[in-house]
Amino acid sequence: MRNAEVFSRSSTEPVTTRTPIRFEKWAQYGFAYLIALVLIAFAVAPALWVISASFNPAKSLVAGTLFPKNPDLSNYDQLFSSEFFPYATWFLNSLKIASITTLLAILITCTAGYALSRFRFQGRRTLMFAILILNIFPAILAIVALFSMIQQLGLYLPGMGLDSHAPLIFIYVAGSSGINVLIVKAYIDSIPSEIDESALVDGATHWQTFMYIIFPIMRPIVITIGVLTFIAAYGDFIIARVLLKSSDQLTVMVGMLLFQTDRFDRDFGIITAGAVIAAIPIILIYIPLQKYVIDGLTAGSIKG
Amino acid sequence: MNTNRISRWYLLNLAGVGIFCVVMLWLISKFLSSGLYPLASIFIAVVVFFTLVYLRPRLTPFRWMAVGIGIVIIFTLYPILYMFYLSVTNMGSGHLMSKQQAISRLEEQLYLPEDSQTYSWTAYQSSDGEFALWLIAGEGENAGQGLLAIPGEPIEAVEPGTGRVGEPDDKGIPLSIEGYERLDLRQTVPLITRISSLDFGEPPTTVRVSSLQVAAPLVSRYEYDSAEDAIVDLKTNEIYRPIEGTFTSESGEELSPGYIVYIGLRHYKNFLGNSRFREPLLSMLFWNISFAFMSVLVSFAVGLIVTLMFENLPGKRIIRALLIIPWPIPVLVSILIWRSMLHPDLGFVAPILESLVGQSPAWFQDTFWTRFGVIMVNVWLSYPYFYVISAGAIRSIPTEIFDAAVVDGAGAFQKLQHITLPLLLRILMPLLIASFTFNFNNFNVIYVFNFGNPPRPDTIVPMGYTDILISFVYRLAFITSNVTNYGLAAAITVMLFILVGMMVLIQIRFTRLFQEAY
Repeated sequence: MRNAEVFSRSSTEPVTTRTPIRFEKWAQYGFAYLIALVLIAFAVAPALWVISASFNPAKSLVAGTLFPKNPDLSNYDQLFSSEFFPYATWFLNSLKIASITTLLAILITCTAGYALSRFRFQGRRTLMFAILILNIFPAILAIVALFSMIQQLGLYLPGMGLDSHAPLIFIYVAGSSGINVLIVKAYIDSIPSEIDESALVDGATHWQTFMYIIFPIMRPIVITIGVLTFIAAYGDFIIARVLLKSSDQLTVMVGMLLFQTDRFDRDFGIITAGAVIAAIPIILIYIPLQKYVIDGLTAGSIKG
Repeated sequence: MNTNRISRWYLLNLAGVGIFCVVMLWLISKFLSSGLYPLASIFIAVVVFFTLVYLRPRLTPFRWMAVGIGIVIIFTLYPILYMFYLSVTNMGSGHLMSKQQAISRLEEQLYLPEDSQTYSWTAYQSSDGEFALWLIAGEGENAGQGLLAIPGEPIEAVEPGTGRVGEPDDKGIPLSIEGYERLDLRQTVPLITRISSLDFGEPPTTVRVSSLQVAAPLVSRYEYDSAEDAIVDLKTNEIYRPIEGTFTSESGEELSPGYIVYIGLRHYKNFLGNSRFREPLLSMLFWNISFAFMSVLVSFAVGLIVTLMFENLPGKRIIRALLIIPWPIPVLVSILIWRSMLHPDLGFVAPILESLVGQSPAWFQDTFWTRFGVIMVNVWLSYPYFYVISAGAIRSIPTEIFDAAVVDGAGAFQKLQHITLPLLLRILMPLLIASFTFNFNNFNVIYVFNFGNPPRPDTIVPMGYTDILISFVYRLAFITSNVTNYGLAAAITVMLFILVGMMVLIQIRFTRLFQEAY
């Protein structure tokens, strides 16, 4: 507290001479800025550090140097040219899996959300309650059963067994669609039903109404669930770790996990380069669209 | 034109449904014949559901959801139910398949009857990769006789130089066979695993390659007698009867692989009844709850402080942008970074702490500091979320309430204590409980930070001091490699399900209460 006052007084000297109330206000601000500084250091340091480490050609880091002496791209070079692991393949696998999951999830949740919002049918409330309950148990709780089930499926359905991407995609879609469908349904509820009723009166089918009228209005919520689904599918490593086996099939997150267990001390620089590259797609998607995600989250959360 | 289009669409639709049903029925019949009854029943349920939705006009709304519901039934609902089933079975190493699968595995095992004819062999390969063998009979009545053996065709004795068989070399081996090219030893060796997996000839008389020199007619060693429900060893005439998922002879010899059977509540008795298992598990549960509670409490506190302090601060947008930097970084990457930062040799935290306080804690060996570390990392990961939601919640509180309070003479602290905090808690309580449930099963942080270690001493199965229940289940099923016990892992997961279910009930109750009150 005393520190904060010293800090604020010295930084706000000219202002305080005018009115004592303003001084108090700036003292508060100074304290707030101090806290902000500490928190920002806590938030930013790891990210800065990994970036700097990834440009550091030294095999073992000299502790405490935030800016490496001779920064270069050698870690990135080795990351992509290594004969021990196909990092580029992992990266593409991840992008492929996450993109297909996202498209499929959007398709499924939007149509289902429309039906739940606009049709009145028997079992509607029960269905929504079932979705709510199922959604609560994360897929990892059933990991042993998933492993066994996918193994059995693969005996008869090529491409649906262990070491293939399709079952992963289905598991991600199933896992994300529960909460997403409820968010989408709530959003469609907020669109006045007069809009689609007039379209229906004019002779449009439900499908046309959905495709040409409702779906375009849903853009913000589609972006929200799209980004959340993509981030979840891209970031998962447990289910992928259990279901995928051969090096060429792994996702980038499983690859990073293997790095951590196998090569942590030896190839530290390469690992940090891998971490930076692995984070890039999410950051690229997240930064321009974060408004949608935050709006969606707060709206969803505050409505309960 | 219009009707034409509709009927074409209808036909296409019908064809699609038809193909789908045929594929599903084929799959189901496969599952049934392999004894995978649980999997078969869930697929039957899905097919019935799809057919009903397709045929009954009353269920039209479900057409919009059928695919999604189907995927959720198979990939979310079924694994949960299957987990309950596994917890009362002996599934684990040596018992991974159904009885039918185990029997057909056993029946695939071959042996060489003692008095049987053996052959020396030479391989030939066709341009599309098919193989043929030239056999020369060893000791016995027909010693020296040459035979041509091709998979799926009867083995025939042929004189080299006649029919498809080309002229012999000095050892009597044909130089070529029509459509096939002779392989020399150097070419054969790399192909040996492929060649030895083939049956040459037409059943029941087939010959298999058993070594680089010798081929012989191998016959099935085991035969399943369905009337007796027993396996007969044709080599020794020993009879193996099923005991708890393993075919066992009277002298106690066991056949591998075994199969999955129902064993009742043994796993539950195993870990609830044995104090050397139960006590570490209870202590783990206690840590599990503390971890989730501390994570939520501290993250929420940090998020709330940030919200309250910076709400009216100049430059708040920049501060906010910097503070939510941890959010978009993939969780695994974040934890890896933290792990390396705290690493005694590679990281920068140890030298800084050493210069400040003279020592640095053993982040990955000491129980207290590892636990401190996981919670700290988890706070780093999750406070941006709490910041964002509490900022949203504060904005949703009507400002009139504050104005009224100020008129009544409330100070800043009183406003906080009597208005802001209670209202925020009321709005966010369901979220906090959901977050607690999430952290209760937060495998990622625990596993990636230190694999649940440091290890607990003197436990029956490996457990760590930072292990939470779900990471312990994972360890049991996938890490403890020599003997995996899926059944036991499933039983512990069932306990987890019950715990999570209880939390959810509390959550629903709170949500209702708050919705009524708010």
